[in-house]
Amino acid sequence: MSDLEIQADLGRQARARSPRRRRIGAAEALAGAFALFLITAAFAPSLVAPGDPLAIDPLSAFQPPNLAHWFGTDESGRDIFTRVSHGTGGSLVIGTLATAIGLGLGIVLGTMAGMLGRVVDFTVNRFLEVLFAFPGLLLALLVILVFGPGAQTATVAVGLATAPGYARIIRAQLISVRSAAFVEAATVLGRGRWQILVRHILPNTLAPLFVLGTLGIGQAVVWASALSYLGLGAAPPAAEWGAMLSAGRTYITSAWWMAFFPGLFIVLTAVTATSLGRALERRARHA
Amino acid sequence: MRSSVHSHRPAAIGAVLAAGLLLTSCAATPGAGDGATPVKGGTLTYASGDAEPTCLDPHVGGNYPQALVSTQYLESLVSRDGNGAIIPWLAKSWTVSPDGLAWEFTLKDGVTFTDGTPLDAAAVQANIAHLQDPKTGSSTGYLALAKVTSTESVSANVVRFTLGEPDSALLESLTQPWLAIESPTGLARGLDENCVAPVGTGPFQVESWEKQDSVVLVRNPAYTSPPADADHTGPAYLARIIWRFIPDSASRFAALQAGDADVIDNAQPDTIVQAEKGDTITHLDAPRPGASNRIELNSSRPPFDDPIVREAFIRSANVDDAVTSLFQGTAKRSYSALSSVEATAAQRPDLFGYDAKAADKLLDSAGWTARDSAGYRMKDGARLTVQFPVSTNQSIPAEQSLFEQIQATAKKTGFEVVLTPMDLSSWYTALGENGYDAVSAPYTKVGPDVLRILFDSAGIVPAPSGYFANHAQVNDPEVDALLTEAGAVTDADKRTGLYTEVQNKVLEGFYILPLYDQQNHYLLSSRVSGARAMPTVSTPTFYDAWLPAE
Repeated sequence: MSDLEIQADLGRQARARSPRRRRIGAAEALAGAFALFLITAAFAPSLVAPGDPLAIDPLSAFQPPNLAHWFGTDESGRDIFTRVSHGTGGSLVIGTLATAIGLGLGIVLGTMAGMLGRVVDFTVNRFLEVLFAFPGLLLALLVILVFGPGAQTATVAVGLATAPGYARIIRAQLISVRSAAFVEAATVLGRGRWQILVRHILPNTLAPLFVLGTLGIGQAVVWASALSYLGLGAAPPAAEWGAMLSAGRTYITSAWWMAFFPGLFIVLTAVTATSLGRALERRARHA
Repeated sequence: MRSSVHSHRPAAIGAVLAAGLLLTSCAATPGAGDGATPVKGGTLTYASGDAEPTCLDPHVGGNYPQALVSTQYLESLVSRDGNGAIIPWLAKSWTVSPDGLAWEFTLKDGVTFTDGTPLDAAAVQANIAHLQDPKTGSSTGYLALAKVTSTESVSANVVRFTLGEPDSALLESLTQPWLAIESPTGLARGLDENCVAPVGTGPFQVESWEKQDSVVLVRNPAYTSPPADADHTGPAYLARIIWRFIPDSASRFAALQAGDADVIDNAQPDTIVQAEKGDTITHLDAPRPGASNRIELNSSRPPFDDPIVREAFIRSANVDDAVTSLFQGTAKRSYSALSSVEATAAQRPDLFGYDAKAADKLLDSAGWTARDSAGYRMKDGARLTVQFPVSTNQSIPAEQSLFEQIQATAKKTGFEVVLTPMDLSSWYTALGENGYDAVSAPYTKVGPDVLRILFDSAGIVPAPSGYFANHAQVNDPEVDALLTEAGAVTDADKRTGLYTEVQNKVLEGFYILPLYDQQNHYLLSSRVSGARAMPTVSTPTFYDAWLPAE
């Protein structure tokens, strides 16, 4: 193996190198535990809360938190713990899908800008700047205005609204990787442009994307909840956190628990995703 | 040689959810007791949860939000007292010919509109013409005047209405704000200008209207024409009324608690219960006259064109438990098409009991035997779906929750109820396109003649405004004949008998699912004295109202 080949090979291995062991902090442990709970609730909500989130029991409405109803009941006697747990799947799916859409679009736009030469770079960048001129949530509202409210539209809307940010980051990452020594080595070895992109550049760009995505899920969950809260996402009586928060706000003066617990879960999910994302980021940097 | 892999640091993407919950404490100001001397001056702030009107002239269209605000600046020919008797207002007396086809109203002397135009017979004529002109786009007033064929000025202050057929409901109709008398000079300005600032004879007049925010009303200093049951004469005590629009009920109640509003309408059951525990807020319960609050089932298209399916739906809905849980004792279950305010209301509890087993049997017999994977019933490959557009402006959150509960209990029987929350104009559009199977639409009218508007087959044809009131699309010649007869008879007992028969036909045909009286709860700061709801359509009037000196 020539020196150059070793050089190129190193680049390929860079992403596979195992990160240095670090001690896990208390915050990270808590975040991990809550993430585990969320994932369980998302995939098997009945394990966490066996009841039906839509089952009404009008005569036990407005019960404050108690042993039978840990988070109390809402105006129709539905158990709020059951609803919050069953709402996890919906919120996480919206959060994950929206992030995937945002990242996917971001990768396409970012790669185009980073790899296809100056003209494309210039065009994509100006386009992104125009999108950046609108606050993200406003962009999401615009999408909903055009395509009508609903959970799917909200997902797409949040995805589209987050895409410009990702595209910027990916472009910057691509440009820095492109000028790395191992890419030069691969070029000198006469590897094709496409092969270099797929085997050397993209893998080294995608690792940080994983960190970005984790951070993004938290943000997307908050945005999707905000849209439902405004009545533009999932419609009541669906067990969706934002919709529940909105319904609970009507009774905030007499039944605080109706708004508090869905709100708490939105906040905790965002915090969890952010601390896990930060932890991943730190590891990636120490690698 | 070492390669370096650039680890890019992601830009911080932080999202902050700032939920500002304004929890305000009650500002306790002891209210003046009864019999205290009213104080002149002061500004009262009213916060309405009803939709902001698109036009302040209640002739145009004619809905409750318009009635609420226009009660402050427009007045009608006659009014109704607490016992249901018709009393003088702008007309001091009236007579009817023996055949019931000619009515003569003698107007109060010396009344002028706030633009200086005198109130005379010609002015009343101009108003009737305005209401009957298709260009005005009146629905409520237009329908109420259906039998009036012409008007004439007998003298300067006597106006005669000529009818095509006797109308037992004419006086009741004329008490309503939608048939209020406006300045003919004002009307002549054209619809656009008149909508922004209608001119009446009322105790207040419209000063300005900042859309999406508030209407400012100022005292009419030359006011002379209170209805016969008012507490005082002469101008109103309050100098100004700020009429705000706060659609969100929690914010509205918070505004009342914080002292930012003195009166709120559309109070939520939980806030009423809370307010009644303290002594800084008083509760005014004024159920609206006319129809009860009910769910109307569209009999013009499947699945509710089949009376058995309608009955099954009604039997599958557990309304009693929902009313108990959501209204917390502030509303009573209704089993009638009419408000309990109306003496002619026929209550039929036997027809509306919750019975899921009976509902199952009915659907089986109607051929809806198969069920799909979601548990909904199927027939000929179609799911048993009920499209239910919900007007978020007209249904308070408790009522929307009630529909969710009906959705949940009807699901057990195999109905898929699709609740679609909509703003008022999208909701009107959905109704106009016949894109609904169930709908809950309030209809307020003085007297049992509301049955004609809701159930006569003529009500399927839209009024000039595009609105139609027969949402159940009852198209029964027998019902039409009974309504026609009831509208013409002068004998009170016979009239009651006919209206009872109509109600029984409608209720037994399962066209509607009655819920409760149209809820109409006002919460007032205890600073406010002398406010009351009009015995006509239960809108509040602030003519006698006053606030303690600052």
